[in-house]
Amino acid sequence: MQEKSGAYIILPVYNEARIINRVIEEITQAGYHRIIAVNDGSSDDTFSLLNQHELIVLRHLINRGKGAAIKTGVEAAKTFGAKVVVTMDADGQHNPQDIEKMLQAVQNGYDVALGSRPKSPKTMPLTKIVANCVGNIVTWLIFGLWVSDSQSGFRVYSQKAINLIDTASDRYEYESEVIKEIKRHKLKFIEIPIEERYTDYSKNKTHKQNFINGLKTAIKLILSA
Amino acid sequence: MLKLNLYQIILGATALFFLATALIKFFSGRRTQTFFKLLSAIVIWGSILIFSLFPNLTHNISRMFGLGENLNTLIFIGFVAVFVMIFKIINIIERIEKNISEIVRKEALGHLEDKKTTPHDLPQL
Repeated sequence: MQEKSGAYIILPVYNEARIINRVIEEITQAGYHRIIAVNDGSSDDTFSLLNQHELIVLRHLINRGKGAAIKTGVEAAKTFGAKVVVTMDADGQHNPQDIEKMLQAVQNGYDVALGSRPKSPKTMPLTKIVANCVGNIVTWLIFGLWVSDSQSGFRVYSQKAINLIDTASDRYEYESEVIKEIKRHKLKFIEIPIEERYTDYSKNKTHKQNFINGLKTAIKLILSA
Repeated sequence: MLKLNLYQIILGATALFFLATALIKFFSGRRTQTFFKLLSAIVIWGSILIFSLFPNLTHNISRMFGLGENLNTLIFIGFVAVFVMIFKIINIIERIEKNISEIVRKEALGHLEDKKTTPHDLPQL
């Protein structure tokens, strides 16, 4: 499949030393080898672990946030002339097997494929479901576009989309800003159900998007509208 | 008919000018004009406009709070000064944050040149 080898996978990575090897192996085993990992000022061994793999490793000298790291990765992909860009989390929550159906959507003419996590209490913690719902409502109220998962980091962008989308948010509010950009540029988008893997590791991460961070994200969204 | 002194006209016109500028910037979709900045501009310049056109309002407010006649002006000026300072500080922090990210990004991308051949040379499964 042409898009499979042509897609650039962007991984914003921050203190994921415990899991990053497995995440990269999974992605390469799924058939994707053009990986751009942006080490966002990690204080653990993440950077040296990333360098042990055959991938493009970029380093933010200090932590600037997920949004800033993705933007750096996208800029790098552009210089390689990327036709399709995939963004996914580096904590193993996303299943690389889902990339293919999202790429297929972009191949079929969509500018952006947004991964949408299942909102069942069986698969997602209740607090996450509520936070996600609030995030969707805030995004809709501010940017006027309803999506079922405004905070998902698993997305695929066409070349047109990466050239048009211009974000300024450095932290978690980046995900919602992309929704604003989709609306602003009238990009054709589709939401695709994806698997979400909540492991003990991801649940216990100290720097994950928790309630307080979620609140901060909502406030920043309102301020930056 | 509202009878205005010269200072009221000057203050009112200045406030109107800044309010209109903020609104135009926001509705023309300028990236630098955020909702918060618009809100701050409306609060600061809106208050100045209202109090310059209706100075007796300050008397009513001070009476409502049981403050002396002279104190209300002082408090009003103090509030305006604090609002302006917060507004400026937020602007400065926002600009610095953005600049830091840009510098960090440029530094990271600066090392890209050496790696440019790598991804295309990678073996495909």
